Order: sequence, then C-alpha cells, then structure tokens
Amino acid sequence: MSKNLSIAAERYASLSRRHFFRGLGACIALPALASLTPRAAFARAGKAPTRMAFVYVPNGAIPAAWWPAGDGGTDFALSPTLAPLEKVRNQLQIISGLQDLSADPGPDGAGDHARAGGTFLTGVRIKKTAGSDIHAGISIDQVVANQIGHLTRFASLELTCDAVRKSGDCDSGYACAYEYNMAWRSPNQPLAPEHNPRFVFERLFGAGAPRDRVANLKRRQQEQQSILDYVLADARTVNSQLDGRDKQKLDQYLTSVREIERRIENSERIPVKNPSIDAPAGVPDSYAEHVALMFDMLLLAFQTDATRVSTLILSREGSNRSFADIDIAAGHHDLTHHKNSPEIIEKVKLIDRWYVQRLAGFLEKMDQTEDVDGQSLLQHSMILYGSGNADGNRHTHDNLPIVVAGSGNGTFKPGQYVKAKPAPITNLFLSMADGMGAKGVESHGDSTGRFA
Amino acid sequence: MRAFPETCEGHWPVISSKRGSGIATAFAVAFTLVTTANAENSAVTEYHAVVSPILEQRCYGCHGDGYDKGKLAFDTLDTDAKILDPELWLKVLNNTRAGLMPAERKPKPSVAEQQKLERWIKYSVFKIDPRNPDPGRVTVRRLNRVEYRNTIRDLLGVDYNTEHEFPPDDSGFGFDNIGDALTMSPMLMEKYVAAGQAVIAEAVPTAPTKPAEQIVSGLAFQGTNAREKWGKRQLQFHEPASVATTLKVDATGTYRVKLNFSVDGNYFPDPGKARIVARIDGKEFLNQEFAYHDDKAFTFESTHKWAPSEHAITIELTPLVPPAKKETIIDLFVKDVTIEGPLEQSQWVKTKDHDKYFPRAIPQDRKQRRAYAAELLGAFAQKAYRRPLDDETGQRLATLAESTYRQPGKTFEQGVAHAMAAVLASPRFLFRLEAPAAHAVNVQVAEVDEYSLASRLSYFLWSTMPDDELLGLAARGELRRNLSQQVQRMLADPRAESLANNFTGQWLQARDAEGIATNPREILVRDAGEESSMRALREAWKRQDEPTAKKLAQFLDNLVKSKPEFDNDLRKAMRRETEMYFAHIVREDRPVTELIDSNYTFVNEELAKFYGIPDVTGEQMRKVTLPPGSPRGGVLTQGTALLVTSNPDRTSPVKRGLFVLANFLGTPPPPPPANVPALEASEADFHGREPTLREVLKLHREAPLCSSCHSRMDPIGLAFENFNGLGMWRDSERKQPIQAQGSLITGESFNSVGELKRILANDHRQDFYSTFTRKLLTYAIGRGPEYYDVETIDVIVKRLNDNQGRFSALLMGVIDSAPFQKMRVQATATVSN
Repeated sequence: MSKNLSIAAERYASLSRRHFFRGLGACIALPALASLTPRAAFARAGKAPTRMAFVYVPNGAIPAAWWPAGDGGTDFALSPTLAPLEKVRNQLQIISGLQDLSADPGPDGAGDHARAGGTFLTGVRIKKTAGSDIHAGISIDQVVANQIGHLTRFASLELTCDAVRKSGDCDSGYACAYEYNMAWRSPNQPLAPEHNPRFVFERLFGAGAPRDRVANLKRRQQEQQSILDYVLADARTVNSQLDGRDKQKLDQYLTSVREIERRIENSERIPVKNPSIDAPAGVPDSYAEHVALMFDMLLLAFQTDATRVSTLILSREGSNRSFADIDIAAGHHDLTHHKNSPEIIEKVKLIDRWYVQRLAGFLEKMDQTEDVDGQSLLQHSMILYGSGNADGNRHTHDNLPIVVAGSGNGTFKPGQYVKAKPAPITNLFLSMADGMGAKGVESHGDSTGRFA
Repeated sequence: MRAFPETCEGHWPVISSKRGSGIATAFAVAFTLVTTANAENSAVTEYHAVVSPILEQRCYGCHGDGYDKGKLAFDTLDTDAKILDPELWLKVLNNTRAGLMPAERKPKPSVAEQQKLERWIKYSVFKIDPRNPDPGRVTVRRLNRVEYRNTIRDLLGVDYNTEHEFPPDDSGFGFDNIGDALTMSPMLMEKYVAAGQAVIAEAVPTAPTKPAEQIVSGLAFQGTNAREKWGKRQLQFHEPASVATTLKVDATGTYRVKLNFSVDGNYFPDPGKARIVARIDGKEFLNQEFAYHDDKAFTFESTHKWAPSEHAITIELTPLVPPAKKETIIDLFVKDVTIEGPLEQSQWVKTKDHDKYFPRAIPQDRKQRRAYAAELLGAFAQKAYRRPLDDETGQRLATLAESTYRQPGKTFEQGVAHAMAAVLASPRFLFRLEAPAAHAVNVQVAEVDEYSLASRLSYFLWSTMPDDELLGLAARGELRRNLSQQVQRMLADPRAESLANNFTGQWLQARDAEGIATNPREILVRDAGEESSMRALREAWKRQDEPTAKKLAQFLDNLVKSKPEFDNDLRKAMRRETEMYFAHIVREDRPVTELIDSNYTFVNEELAKFYGIPDVTGEQMRKVTLPPGSPRGGVLTQGTALLVTSNPDRTSPVKRGLFVLANFLGTPPPPPPANVPALEASEADFHGREPTLREVLKLHREAPLCSSCHSRMDPIGLAFENFNGLGMWRDSERKQPIQAQGSLITGESFNSVGELKRILANDHRQDFYSTFTRKLLTYAIGRGPEYYDVETIDVIVKRLNDNQGRFSALLMGVIDSAPFQKMRVQATATVSN
C-alpha cells in the first residue's frame, strides 16, 4: 500500500497543475448516489441533476408531414411524422419558428449541408475552407460542459452512428469536419464523436466482465496516468520549438491530455456506478440496431450520471444513406431534392418517420427509467432532436424541425405545440443552458435573448 | 532586399526598336537604377508599362471601359495593393493558361504577350525568386490512420486495425494527410494511449517463457467443397462442406486449441443461415447456427490432455437455406487453428521475441538494471521518434520503467513495456516534427535536416516510418547525396503500394468504390428502357394484383440476370484495377498521359466478363492488353471512376464532367447556386416520352445562368454515356441509341470517348501535367498549393515535358522541389536533436 502512495506522491509533486484540480475537488459537494437496482430505497438527498442532449438528423424533414395542425397549445394532434411519439406526448414540446440563419448562403454560395451541420450548435458563420484553417465556434454543449463538467466523470459525451467517412471534399468547398462533428470545443477544435457502442461502454465503465469492470477501469486509469505524465514532459521539450499554427496543434494535444487527466481525477473523487449488464459486442450490422444501441449508451451514461451533457449524430448532415428495412434504395439526400414529385416526397416522409421511431424508442425508455429521486430520467432531461436544415429540398434554415423532450427538472412545461415567433435557435439553447445551471452565459452565437 | 531575378529582359519596358539603340540603352540603364532602388514601385511601373496595354487590348471588352463582368474591371485597380493582389492574378494566370479567358472565342493573347503577363505575375506580383522559392508553411502533421497503422507494423510487427479503432481523419484539398486539417481531440488521445498499450501488449513479451504455440493455416483444411478465395480457405453458406486437417503434438501435456474463422456476407440483408459444427477427434466443441455478418471474426476453443499424437479436426457446414433460394452469398473464411501448449509451466518454452526485445540477461543490481532499461528504451525511442534521442528523455523513460517494475508483482519486462507504450503516445511519435539542417543559421528558408527528409520520403512513398537504411544514411549525412538511388530503391519496395493505394484512393476516389451506394437493378432497367414496367410492377403490388406482379417481376428479374452480376467482389476488383494501374505507371516509369489513355488494364475473370474482355480466367488480377477498338484504357473509363461519378440509379454526366475538370484539367467550375431544380423535373417537358439523359441535360442548360458552367462540364460527361451507372458498356438508354459526340469549351470536337481521351492527352497535356503535379505535390507536402508555388509547379511541368512525360520526372520533380526539400525557419532557429 505504502509503495503505491509514494508513487502517487511523486506524481503529485512533479507537476504544478495538479494543485488547481485538488483545490477544486475540495469545494464541490458530491451528488446524491443510489444503487442501480430499480425500486431500491432512495435517500432523499436533494434534486436529481439535469441532463442535456442534442440528437441530430440530417436533411430536414417534409414540413407538411412534420408540423401538427392548429395554432399551438396543449391540445394538438401529432402529425404523421411525429405520430410514433404518442406514448411520450406529454413530455414533448414541438417548437416552430426556430431559425439557424448562420447557415444561409450569404456571400458563400453553395454548401448548405456543411453550414447546417457546422452552425447548428455553434450559431456562428463558419469559414468556407476545404482544408486549412477550419473555423466555427464553441458549441453550446461545450459551453455548459465547461461549467458543470467537473461534477461528473466525463464533462461531455460525443456520439455518432456514422462509421464510415467519405474521402476527399465534402460539400462545395467546405471541409468534412463541419458535417461529421457536432460538438466544438473551440472554433478550430471539433470533438470527434465515437461510433462504436462497445468502445463507448468501455470508456464509461471499463472493460471485461461486470464484476471485474470497475477494478479494470481503475487499473487502466492508473496506467494511463503514468503515461500521460511522461508525454506531457515530452510535449514540453517540443513546445519551445514551435510557433503559430504548429503551436496550435500541440495545444490541441495538450488540452486533450489534460482532459483525460481531469477525468481520471474526477474518477478518483466520484465513484463509478457500474451497470450489471454486459457490454455491447461492437457495431451491429443493421443501422436500426446501431441507432438503438447508441441511444441505449446515452441513456446509460445519463442514468449512471457518468455525464450530463451529450451530443448524438444519427447521421451527418447531407447523409445519402439508403434504408433497406423500409425498402428505400435511393439515397436520403438525393431524395430530399424531390422538386415536388409526390412519389419521392412520400419516400422522404417514410425516412423522416423512421428516424422519429428510433427517437420514440429512446424516449419511452427514458420515461420508464427511474432516476435517483423516483421521478423519470426523462423528466430530468432536455433532449433536443432536429436538424439544421428545415426544407431539405430548398435548403431553408428557418422554421427548423425541432422537438424538445423532457422537462429538464422544471426548466420546461412540456406537452405543448409551441408556435413561437421567428427566433434564433440559439435563444432556446440559452434557456437550456440556464436550466443546466450554467451561469453568466449572456449570449451564444447569433442569439438575441432567452427563448420566450 | 530580394535578389534580382535572372530573367531581367522581361522586365525591361517595351521600347520601339525604331529609335536609336543608344537612346534605348540609356533608357535601359536608367530603368535598371530605378528598378534596383525600389522593387514594389517597379512592379507597379511595369504593370502600367507592359501589362496594362495587353489587358486593354485583350480584356477590356468585358473587364474595363465601364464593363466589369464577374465584378472584375482592370481599370478600377487604383491602389498599389489592388494592382499587386496575388489572389487576383492567380485567377488571371490560371484562366489564361487554361484558355478559359478571354472567353467566348475572343482573340487570345499572343505567345509573347502571354509570356510577358506570366513573367510579371510570377516574379513581380508573386515575388517568386526562382533560385530560392518559398517552400511555404506546412502545419505540423499528425500521423493519419493509415500512417499510424503502417508505422506500428514496421516498428513492432503488429497489425493494429486503425480503421476499426480510430475515428476517420478529416481531410483537406481532397487528401487526409494535410497538416492543417488533421485535428486532435480528447477521445482520440485516449485512443492513442489505449492503442499504444494494446500494441505493446501484443508485441513485447513480459515474461521470458510461455507455453509453446503452433499455428495451422486455414488452407490446411481439405475436403468436400473446400474453396479458396483471396488466398484463404473459403466455405460457402449455400453449399454443404466438410473439411478436415490433422493437428500434431510432440509432448505430453494440456493443450488449448483455438479455431479462428470469420463470416462475411456480400449483401445486407441476406437471409442465409448455416450450421457450423467443429469436432476434434469426433467430439464436438462447436455446434451453432450462423447468419449474416459483415466480416466478423470468431474464435472457439477447447482444452485437451494429450500425449505425443495426432488428432483430427473437422469443420462441417450445413446450409439452412434451401438451394433453390441461392441468393445467399455468405462466406466462411477459416483463418487458422492455434494450438497452445503444453500449458504446464514446467514445459514452457522461451517466449518468442523475448530475445529480440531483451537480448541480454536482466541484471539483478538495481543500478545496472536501470542502465539496461535506459539502453533498451533509448534505442526504441530513437526509432519511434525517427531521430536521435537526447539523454534527458532516455533517463525519463528509465525512471518510468523503474517506477513500474519496482511495484510488487511486476517484472522488469513489464516496466520496460509500459515505458514503450508511453513512447507511442508522445507527440514526438504522433506528429512528424521537423527541423532545419544544422548549418542553417540566420536564414529564412533552409533545407530540412536529413532525418526530416527521411521521414518526408518514407511517408510520401510508403506511408510509413523511414527504415534502417534511410535512417542510417541520415545519421551519416549522406541521404541527400544518394537521393535518387534511394528513391529507386523505395519504388521497387513492396511498401510503395501505399503510394498507389492512398494517393489514387483519394485523387481518383478509388477508396469509395467498395462503399458507394448503388442500385444495379434500377440502372439496368433504365438502360433497357423498361422503367414503365418497373412502375407497373409497383402499381400491381399496391393493388395486390399477384399474377401481374409475378409476371412483371419475373420479366425484370430475367432482364437483370442476363447481365453480369454486380457484387462486392466485383467492386473490390475495380478498386484493385485502378490501384494496380497507377502502381504500374509508377514502377515501369510510363508516360503519365497513359493515365488518360492506353491499350492495357488490369482485370480478373469477373471484371473481364463485366467489361466484355474475352479469354481471362481465374480470380487473380493481371495485366491484359485490350482488344483493338476497346473503349477501356486509362483511368477515366475504368469501373472505379465511372462508379463513383454516378448516382445510385443512373449516370451523372455532370459529376463525370466535374471529375475530369477538377482532377485532370484543373479548371473546376464554381459550386452551383442554391435552389437548383432536380434534373428529373425537366422530364415533364417531354410530354409523356422518356427522354435520354443527353436530351434532359440540354434543356437544362438553356438558361444562361446555368450554361456558363454546364457547357464546360456536360459535354465531357456526356461522352461517357455509353458507360452506365455501374461502369458497364451500353449502346442504348431508354431504348434510344447513345450518342457520345460533343465539344469542349476550348473548341475541340470529338465523336467518341476515345477521341475525347486523345484530345485530353494531347491538346490538353499541359493542363493535365499541371493538375497532376499539383495533386501529387499536395499529397507529398501536406498542404494545398498557394500562389507562390506556381513556379515550382511550372518547373516540374517543364521537367515532364523534357522527359517524354515519364512519371519519374514528376516524382523527382516533386522530391527535388523547394517545398519538399526545405522549410521556412522560425525567428529563433533552435535545432532539435
């Protein structure tokens, strides 16, 4: 035992940045913990934490089938596309009028897919470049994660169901990074999402059989720590010789290392809640299964409070996937440019609905999962589902198809069709950030105030 | 003060030769003094004196005297900054060289005028110094997935599948090895750390002895319906198979036998199923049903106590789908059987590779141990970091190893292994750090040091770390002296395949050939002009009119089945064709114009049948001479290019035109404006008749807004209409014969795709040389071309012209160029060790 302590002491002594984290650790009250067995007795230890997730679908949705009829309010019928959400209807807000005008062409010409993807959570005009110098902005999930991320083992979790990436150029002179990433830590550092459910699980809970997992995770983190100490010292020898953009790249490296260290620190303070289920085997062969599994990982991450902030890309903006299980062989993107052919529009509606069915499965499970205080996980969450493109045919970015599920611990009063006056979606993001307990966020991207 | 370029003559003002030469000389001398005094002023003066008159004559019709087409009017350039704007003149240079400007058949500048224009642009605006060109800035390059995988393979002999483990790399300028585009994130960093540990765990033994291991290859299995594909033992799910082989052990003990195989289906969803039963000596250890999997690996093991003896291992496959429903194409590939044992420790043998990583006995004394650790780790880190190691790092590594192996229960080997894993997570391994040559002091541009050059060469030609020979030459400072021999050696090495695979994979999108979505049925039905039958079939289903539906479905099935099958194996062959074709041009030093047009290609039996080339049997890819008159030959008419430039349900002449303009001629049109209607909408204008694609596109181009770009792309793309969306030859589309004739915007006309290829290879050779050079240069240096690279590219193109266009001229041109050989030096030029 003492040997380990002395090694730990050496570690702590060698690098000064530690002091910052240790100091922080001492000030934060630990959140309430409960076992994962359902229906166990719960300690009344205060409110359950609020969670926030953004789920992205590409290429917009056919407006006629998406929007409910009527003027809004609590008494509305779900539209054909949204009908699969019937069971969780009283946890939904269907919000019209939201805009992402930074995705408009302006002086940049073509590239609406890259723009829709790159501006969705950042709300800024992205730089039109196919390679050097990608430049977007910080995304709202990272703004929140920066403030509350230290309360959980993972500040945020980035997920995707896209396993393959196209080679070469992506959209009309925009780099592929704008479409394949949703979360941006800084204007030039996108946070690459993970697509393999098994890897997600193992990062969260450790590898191996359920009873070995936590010990495996701890051991792995200890080994990681000593490696990280070494590479940081290496990085210092390199740093002095670089400048300009080279230094930026190395900074990305250093930030990444520190992020892992922070997570290890958090793990030492915050115990792992180990689910008793087996890890997923890997990437399933069918897309429907893949999507369902990723949603499961998201639920698990929230349920065990491994993180409270997440983004999930179901498929990147501009995706040209075909859908074998609903007998659609042509590509999604190609079909959305239907130019009013009724036959093709019907196909797109099927795809829109297919995605909503996956969402419905997830939301129903969230609704049935008990959180620490007996309420449902969904009530404590804000799940925003939608696209940065509204009408995929004409590439419009106002009146985006957006559904927000969950009450966010009282942030929202769901069960409504909200026909809002046109406003930037970033306004809604600010309200969500407030609900997450973020402070001092005056504006984000093109926001003009809070969402009314 | 920049050096005055040698081509002074071009900078002298035009003086009428009728005047006395004396006055001309005096004028010239005076002019020289003025020029030497102030470079900028002289550039502007020269603009007014030399360049502006040319523009007035050739360009003002649209770009001056009140006209400003494309928002450009030369006579509104009123400040020095505007007159000397490099981005503007880069456009002028590119457009005039490509013959796109002056537009619409207006008279072009004379050769002399063009030369004057170019010289002014290159040397006065771009300020290129031909004797010391600016090598530009490359942002430090992180290893991409392919490079990481290859480097690990060459450093440790382990194959780490980065395609599965790492997220895809971001790309820029069409390539995934561009310094600026490659980013780092916390998740990726975690993966690097995990990868380092996994790789070391597989490569470096942590104990001196372990159970012996035997590997019996899958090919050793013989029996009924034992097939072979892609060099592996293959059993197919639709035919019963029974194969066996013998396992032999020489000592008494407990043995663990592992059977390793993979299941790989061609189509998803595939209803195929089979029961696999495996037995050793008649006793089952595997009896399970398997269904569709996408190249998934399985391992099944059983343990036995044996004396020295032989044992039979059998695999039996029983299809569970009736043979009448033969659609199923799922393969079982038997990888191998590994026999571990005897497992009893007393019988353990020396661990493989233990001597390789720990050549001497491990000392007992603490200090000696540490010194040994430092020695081993120093040697490893030196190779991993691709340059000599400083002492301080060596000591840090020894400390890390020591702190690990001094923990209770840990061995010396484990300590060293742990430190090796740390080396693989370091930025000095993950990034290609470069340094200027040692003698570079107080300069802005210098040669990179020989270690940096070694890495640049190996990552360019092999996509992996430099080997011992390269590093040895760099250590002795002799790499540059032996540069061309080394390049020859590297091209002959099998690792040079990486150049073909990775460069072509992206430049020609060969990487996409296997994954791109396509719908063979719809394409073939359209070719036959039977889309009405397809629609009728859908109607019949909707009405639940079974007899009609069955008849139509049968008719369409027969139609599709009469053509060669389009499956994953065919796509793989197409990708291999393009890669091998390029590799051939590299290795045999062929003229690069053979990329556009030739009389040979690479096929196997399946691909040959698809192309209609007779007398090819076997699944091996091989070079074939094309029959005379064959339209294949050159990459543009290979399956890959035709497939990746099509939509899932039809050809796309626009994409094909763009492919040629962007990748071969270097003049891609700007992206389309928003709200462009879909092509199919125009079909309504044909009043019930089904038009050919050519007819539809013509209607589409009639709007002037569209024709400016589409008249550049469409004629080229339409020349390829005889190749359908799968790359198959067809004579008609929608029951109408296909016409391939057209003309380029630069005036040349052609009647067939063959003629088009010849025009591209001959009349547009310079454009092709220039474009190909730019692409290869981008791939080699890891950044996109800037305006100041024009001279470098021109020099390489000249080299191509002087050497019958052979690939070696281009390759050595790139390697000898300033951007490849040199770097900009930072203000504080510290030379790293």
